[in-house]
Amino acid sequence: MSYFRIFLAFLRVSIYVETAYRINFIIQLFQSLLNLGMTLGGLAIIFTYTNLLGGWRPHEVLALVGVYFLIGGIIRLIIQPGMEQLIESVRDGTLDFRLTKPADAQAIVSLQRVEIWEILEIILGLGVLIYALAKLGEIIGVLQAAEFVLMLTAGGVIIYSFFLILSTLSFWFVRVENILVIFQSVYEAGRWPVSLYPGWLRYGLTFIIPVAFATTIPAEALTSRLNWQTLVGAIALSIVLFIVSRIFWKTGLKRYSGASA
Amino acid sequence: MAYAIHVRALSKFYVVSQQETGTKAAFQNLVHRRKAEVRAVDGISFDIEPGEIVGFLGPNGAGKTTTLKMLSGLLHPTSGELSVLGYVPSKREAAFLRQITLVMGQRNQLVWDIPAELTFELNQVIYRIPRDSYRSMVTELTELLDLGSLLKKPVRNLSLGERMKCEIAAALLHRPSVVFLDEPTIGLDVTMQQRIRTFIAEYNRRSGATVLLTSHYMADVAALCKRVLVIHHGKLLFDGELSGLLQQFTSHKTIIIQLDNCKANLSNYGEVKSSEDGRYTLRVPKAETARVTERLLAELPVIDLLVEEPPIEEVIARVFAQE
Amino acid sequence: MKLLVRLYVQQFKTTLAMMFQYRASLVIWTIGQVLEPLVYLIVWLVVAKSSGGSVGSYTTADFAAYFIVLMLVNQVTYTWIMYEFEYRVREGVLSAALLKPVHPIHSDIADNISSKIITLPIMITIAIIFAFAFHASVAPPPWAILAFIPVLLLAFLVRFVLEWTLAQAAFWTTRVGAINQSYFVAFLFLSGQIAPLTLLPHPVQILSLLLPFRWLISFPVELLLGRLTMIETLIGLGAQFGWLIVSIILLRIVWRAGVKVYTAVGA
Repeated sequence: MSYFRIFLAFLRVSIYVETAYRINFIIQLFQSLLNLGMTLGGLAIIFTYTNLLGGWRPHEVLALVGVYFLIGGIIRLIIQPGMEQLIESVRDGTLDFRLTKPADAQAIVSLQRVEIWEILEIILGLGVLIYALAKLGEIIGVLQAAEFVLMLTAGGVIIYSFFLILSTLSFWFVRVENILVIFQSVYEAGRWPVSLYPGWLRYGLTFIIPVAFATTIPAEALTSRLNWQTLVGAIALSIVLFIVSRIFWKTGLKRYSGASA
Repeated sequence: MAYAIHVRALSKFYVVSQQETGTKAAFQNLVHRRKAEVRAVDGISFDIEPGEIVGFLGPNGAGKTTTLKMLSGLLHPTSGELSVLGYVPSKREAAFLRQITLVMGQRNQLVWDIPAELTFELNQVIYRIPRDSYRSMVTELTELLDLGSLLKKPVRNLSLGERMKCEIAAALLHRPSVVFLDEPTIGLDVTMQQRIRTFIAEYNRRSGATVLLTSHYMADVAALCKRVLVIHHGKLLFDGELSGLLQQFTSHKTIIIQLDNCKANLSNYGEVKSSEDGRYTLRVPKAETARVTERLLAELPVIDLLVEEPPIEEVIARVFAQE
Repeated sequence: MKLLVRLYVQQFKTTLAMMFQYRASLVIWTIGQVLEPLVYLIVWLVVAKSSGGSVGSYTTADFAAYFIVLMLVNQVTYTWIMYEFEYRVREGVLSAALLKPVHPIHSDIADNISSKIITLPIMITIAIIFAFAFHASVAPPPWAILAFIPVLLLAFLVRFVLEWTLAQAAFWTTRVGAINQSYFVAFLFLSGQIAPLTLLPHPVQILSLLLPFRWLISFPVELLLGRLTMIETLIGLGAQFGWLIVSIILLRIVWRAGVKVYTAVGA
């Protein structure tokens, strides 16, 4: 519970930094809208030529886009900033300050930065999602909603663990600054249902850079496509990956403090 | 419990791969990596009582920062015994971490874009400092360090010296009983260095905290530390009072004499360091001092004569240049 | 002139050394460069397959060819200068460049070309693999293949000058992120990266004729795919020349103004 208070403290700092410039809000809004407009534009063009994309109806793909922005916003709100700062702090030695604090280093490092304006992206994503679901006209049952939330959470945990593993590499390799950019580039592919892609790409987007768990799978839950194997698989993977990433983090920390060998 | 810090035969060795420049060497390096062992800290031992202010003196790369990192739990020793306040630092237990603090001269824990005050509040949460303790500490530190309105300005708008003061304050909010300072005055102007030294002395007096200070500035150590540990190439060269340092490492003394007439060749008496308007500075082996002084007084028209220890900086420089 | 040649050669060596250091970044960049056209390729293939094998004048084989060639044309013409410029202005390293007797654009062009010499073989390999995997087919007439070379060169020059000019927004603001993004979104739609321009709504197509983007990507791609007549090619070349002149003029104006601002603040 004290970790929640630590998170709030970091949040307060971020709010202070960002609200100092009101223009940051406008710019972020502009960029998010631009991004959304670009995605919707692409969708519009595609759907003038077809009614079904790999079995997905237009508003189902729209729902996927909503999830894409929602999770994308969450990642850039709380997951990515902390990991970026971690990598930098390994390089310039300020990580030492985190390590001399009486709190779990992984928690501090994960919570240390919040890009609060990404909230706009989350809100936009939710907006698009709700609109799409309304247009689909289907009643989302409690079970389905629960599955959706579950898959969203599992997806979030998987992405977090993935980022942590990548960032922990900075304990071994100095030149890792750009490694998180790889996720940004690949995440773009999550705007479309992963089932569209050929086998090898689908595999890559699921198990190598787990974009599918962030976007397609939660969307599948909402559009009644989710089978129980995927559900169970996602939950299992999230637990396993979380544990693995923590072990890897501890190993990296040991190396940083010269404890190995 | 006797000692705040107890160190026995502490060592830290690194294995680094050696790389030469040049294309041929680069290819050789691919096939066979040459390794070398770096002995950053090589079997040092010392004990520090609670409340002492101790200085670690040594040139860059001597092993001071490495030792400090081991003491604060950031680095695992290769071998040796080490305990701080009864804890093994590398275990990084929360109870231990709450009682220590680390200030690093070149690096900031203060968050850059926000007023220092907000970083203080962050630390309050992380260290779980009770409100009244926090408030009174902020007041005390503001007074001692003359922080005034600095706390409300974004850190990036502060000068280097102002930043350092806030940095030190942030590190002391949780009233640690052991304070590690790694080159705290580096890059600061002389006035600011002075102020920080005064503060440290005062803080130590008021709180009884044990202070361990590394520096390559002699002035820091001379002003603050009764006890000095001299480190070079990872080994402890000296552990004791500063005056003792001079005793042990000087083989020469300085004689300053003022002559009645200006011109004289004094190279017979000793090494002439400087000559100016009849005022000469001579460097003489310690053993010879009495005899040379006698001769000077007898053979020359001396108006004034003074025998001095060589400046501390010179002594230290020679000590380090030796190995 | 000789000075320029030596400069370019020297820059090549420097870039080569830097790339060796940053090889991880290289892989990451390549993935990004490949993934975007690949995703659109796949999506359009799906649309085509569900529409009886073709959309407009593009069969599945045509789509594959289109996006693969687009990937290569993009690789040859793209720049990253707008990101770097912001860094240079912010950190003040631009001052060093301003003191040199050569216009800074030259070392940037050299750096750009040098790194592409290194990455292009990789991209071509990937292109060939994709061509087989997605059954691309292309049958351009020989004159089109010949014409492609100057067209591609011009596309590179125009895009470079244009984006270098855009990069100078950094002289006036630190918020180049929003500006760059706006540029890229416009570029995406109007250059044919999202879809062949003939498939876009009519108003968009008209707009694309008036702006430079189509002449940088869509035009070379369609040429190499053998989809243009000689007349259309000549018109395209004319448009490219026109935009080259316009962009160079623009560059001169903006650069002069920018340097004034930069040096006024005390660099």
